[in-house]
Amino acid sequence: MIRIAAVGDVHVDKDVVGRYRPALEQLPGRADALLIAGDLTRHGTVEEAKCFATEFGGLAVPVVVVLGNHDHQSDQEQQVTEVLTDAGITVLECSATVLEIRGHRLGIAGAKGFGGGFAGACASNFGEREMKNFVGVTEDISARLGEALRSVECDALVALTHYSPVPDTLVGEPLEIYPFLGCYQLGNAVDSAPTALALHGHAHHGSERGRTPGGVPVRNVAHPVIKQAYNVYQLLSESVDAELVSA
Amino acid sequence: MTKQIDLEAEIQRLLTEHDRIAEQGITVHRRENIVVLSGEVESAQRRDEICRQISGHFPEIEITCDIGITRAQAPSEVEEIS
Repeated sequence: MIRIAAVGDVHVDKDVVGRYRPALEQLPGRADALLIAGDLTRHGTVEEAKCFATEFGGLAVPVVVVLGNHDHQSDQEQQVTEVLTDAGITVLECSATVLEIRGHRLGIAGAKGFGGGFAGACASNFGEREMKNFVGVTEDISARLGEALRSVECDALVALTHYSPVPDTLVGEPLEIYPFLGCYQLGNAVDSAPTALALHGHAHHGSERGRTPGGVPVRNVAHPVIKQAYNVYQLLSESVDAELVSA
Repeated sequence: MTKQIDLEAEIQRLLTEHDRIAEQGITVHRRENIVVLSGEVESAQRRDEICRQISGHFPEIEITCDIGITRAQAPSEVEEIS
């Protein structure tokens, strides 16, 4: 059995430092790792990254993250990544990591992802250079996420993105902005490997549960959706026990 | 005077692009005589700043802030994935 905690869109700045910490201090015993699905900061500055590292660093469980669109706002994503890495946080971007957890290998492949829309209402790699560039980024990130997922040898494989791989978990958002919230290519990437669970954020007004066309469970863990510090998901179950902690 | 048709778009862009706000998760609904902002943010300071900035930019519009603070307590249940 492996238990992973997950949340996204925590948007940390100095006004948030301390809000999550009481719940994060309870992680050992509740979960084996914490995964964060992007939008770690408000504007993607080094100062905000340091606030995030203060709040989510130094925990007794491994922390694995991807960046979100907010973390790119100041064009300092490299410096932000360095701050997080220096704090012991693993930052994935079209890459993967494996955690050894109680005799099991948990593989996590992650990428920010990008927009583009979903089957029947998606952007095409056609026309103006700007549109071809847009869809080109979508295709490139998705292809590299797929490669990262297929590269991992593990007992349980999790895909971690900021943008959504399916429209199911966007229900509640205006249909008009679906192409800015995710793309079907990410779903194809998830389905190209034996993925056990796909986690994403970004859609604050979306819904929690969905599945890829290939049947992989998808969870939108954006903080305003889950409405708690993190959700906990159990993989490789030997027995079902819905109680998280004894009273 | 801001044209009605542009008002929601202007507020939406200000919510995202204003350096002191940077929120993409706030919805803007127009009622008969007021504009209602709803959604959740990470702190009371952010909610108050949104109300202050929007009211300041659109003094001719009556604006109501129904913005909550997202709770950050630890969970009590686990979901089994199968």
